[in-house]
Amino acid sequence: MIGLIASIALTSIGALAWGLLLGGVSRMVTARIHGRIGPRLTQNYIDLWKLFRKKSSIHHGTMFWLAPMFRITGGIGVLLLVPLVAGNSLIVNMSFAGDLLLVVYFMFFGCLGMALGAGDSGHPYAVIAVSRGLSQMSSYELSFSAVVLVLAAGLGTLSIREMVAAQQGGILSWNAFRFPFATAAGLITFLPMQMAYPFSIVLAPQEIPIGPPTEYSSRFLSFMFSGRAIFGVAKLVLFVNLFFGGAGSWPGLLVKTFLLYMFPVFVSPVFPRFRTEQSVRFLWFVPTALAAVDLVRVLI
Amino acid sequence: MYCNRIPDRPDERKRIWDRVDDMARANSLWVTAYGTGCGAIELRPLHTSRFDMERFGIAMRPTPRQADVLIISGYLAVKTLKRVIRVYEQMQDPKYIIALGSCTINGGMYFDSYNTLNILDRYLPVDVYVNGCMPRPEAIIDGFSLLMRKIKDGHADGWKHYRENLDFYRENQKSVISDWDLPDYNW
Amino acid sequence: MKDCLHGMLTESAREWDVVRESDGYLHVMVPEERVLEVILGARGRCGMTVLQLISAVDRMETGAFQLTWIMEGDDDGSVFMVSAFYPREDCTVPTMGDLWPAAVAFERELREMYGIRFPGNPRQDEDFLLEGWKEIPPMRRDFNTLEYSMRTFGERRERKHIDPREYISEMTGEWDTPVPIKDGEE
Repeated sequence: MIGLIASIALTSIGALAWGLLLGGVSRMVTARIHGRIGPRLTQNYIDLWKLFRKKSSIHHGTMFWLAPMFRITGGIGVLLLVPLVAGNSLIVNMSFAGDLLLVVYFMFFGCLGMALGAGDSGHPYAVIAVSRGLSQMSSYELSFSAVVLVLAAGLGTLSIREMVAAQQGGILSWNAFRFPFATAAGLITFLPMQMAYPFSIVLAPQEIPIGPPTEYSSRFLSFMFSGRAIFGVAKLVLFVNLFFGGAGSWPGLLVKTFLLYMFPVFVSPVFPRFRTEQSVRFLWFVPTALAAVDLVRVLI
Repeated sequence: MYCNRIPDRPDERKRIWDRVDDMARANSLWVTAYGTGCGAIELRPLHTSRFDMERFGIAMRPTPRQADVLIISGYLAVKTLKRVIRVYEQMQDPKYIIALGSCTINGGMYFDSYNTLNILDRYLPVDVYVNGCMPRPEAIIDGFSLLMRKIKDGHADGWKHYRENLDFYRENQKSVISDWDLPDYNW
Repeated sequence: MKDCLHGMLTESAREWDVVRESDGYLHVMVPEERVLEVILGARGRCGMTVLQLISAVDRMETGAFQLTWIMEGDDDGSVFMVSAFYPREDCTVPTMGDLWPAAVAFERELREMYGIRFPGNPRQDEDFLLEGWKEIPPMRRDFNTLEYSMRTFGERRERKHIDPREYISEMTGEWDTPVPIKDGEE
């Protein structure tokens, strides 16, 4: 029990540190693409500390206070259920049959918490952003569920640990090569999960002030940022486990998550933003069709 | 929801981790994206590749709730002052004000206008003045460097001064704004 | 276009006066009773369909406001300006808000800045730019804006006067140095 709590704590802190560092790399890479110098790599840590130490004088209701907690809980929940390093005896997370469905639920739980908190803040722009975000999320949940279905049908299991075990034995046995269309669909749904362009309608900083976190400030915002960092790392590790064979060692995990993180960083600065109805239509049909191709291949 | 009394005095800056706090605050200044006057046109080049302010950690935030710095860019009309007071009081402590241009220092080009304030210090606590008409982006970056140095030394106390002398500021603000309908304490 | 305008103006054999005329430009002065008729004629028959501005000048010495309507033609962009004098006290001017919706904004500004009323303008009594203004309309020439600024916004700080010539001579030692002319140039 103590071991589980210790491993949860270590995992969360490590995920926070890694997520913030990845965010700093992303800002630097975006700046270099624009031809600028860009911030320091540790800029996100400084931002987080500054936000944490600001005084707060707002009170909007109970849900407003709870929402950042929901987000962090969602992130830590996803982290708990994905094996970080396969076969590692130090950080042992939970695992049981069917935990992939629970992971999908936890991802939705975090976003829902933030949506409720934003609604409680009483700012009309936050409510607009919440409605846009939830519509987009319901559409990519559909295609992600199709991808999960393909993997479950192909590998015969819904437990992430067994999926990772089924991908051992060389690069060609990764799911990325066994189910290429499902991987493509999964990577397309990775973009709205990270709120990267062209699917960043939720945040939309020029249209509505930054979306759901409009009224959030100081300590709440620092929790939101931490939640986003932890959540981001959790999704990265999940995708590495689902499609790219899991990680056999700590350096392998860091390298694989870094490379996967670079995918939205390089794709998103060159795209404009889809409107809500365009992104919903795209996410309903295109990734689902790709996953259906693989589903047909698996069933035949 | 508004308070009905002046908030308590803030803590004195005596603890040892306040220096770490001030280093963090100086290296990550977030600016409210609100262009109050003609100087806002000199703020836009700061985003671009030539003057790049992101390398100092400065970013523009769309809402005052998430920002530290408010930039009064140029002359401040009485109508704008009413809105700026709302924006300034929605920002969370600690917060700073940078005033650009000679109109905020002593009236500048519009010293005899019926509509613009002459000395900004009477209505809002200013931490850094940057003179010029309008100051170029390099001068604005110089102003930011001065603000960062002030924060690291612990002298950027505009927000404390505002809380402690709220009566003085309110009296001046009400003498200028004739249709005052803001709450007296809007924290 | 000009022929049409000249024709319309002389039609009813009442007075009008050319202030300035040049290629594609005509500025006339009419008595205040003819203003609506002239503007309607220019708009309807001579194709002056765009209203650019309604402007006012405070002629304090003669006790009048000079109002000018500036119109532009839709075929070749020629400009037609109509001016008229109105008495300065309790000034009321016919509104052009039914002909051009943009005129409503111009007339609101003139009401706030000069005190000219346009009966029939739907948003006359709203504040346009100034909120809670209690003095006389500020663009009138008998409004002392410097005195108002000193009274409301307080005394300004002490200013140092620096002569540029002295300052530059101190700093660089050079002033009135002629620019050297290279050989072979004028």
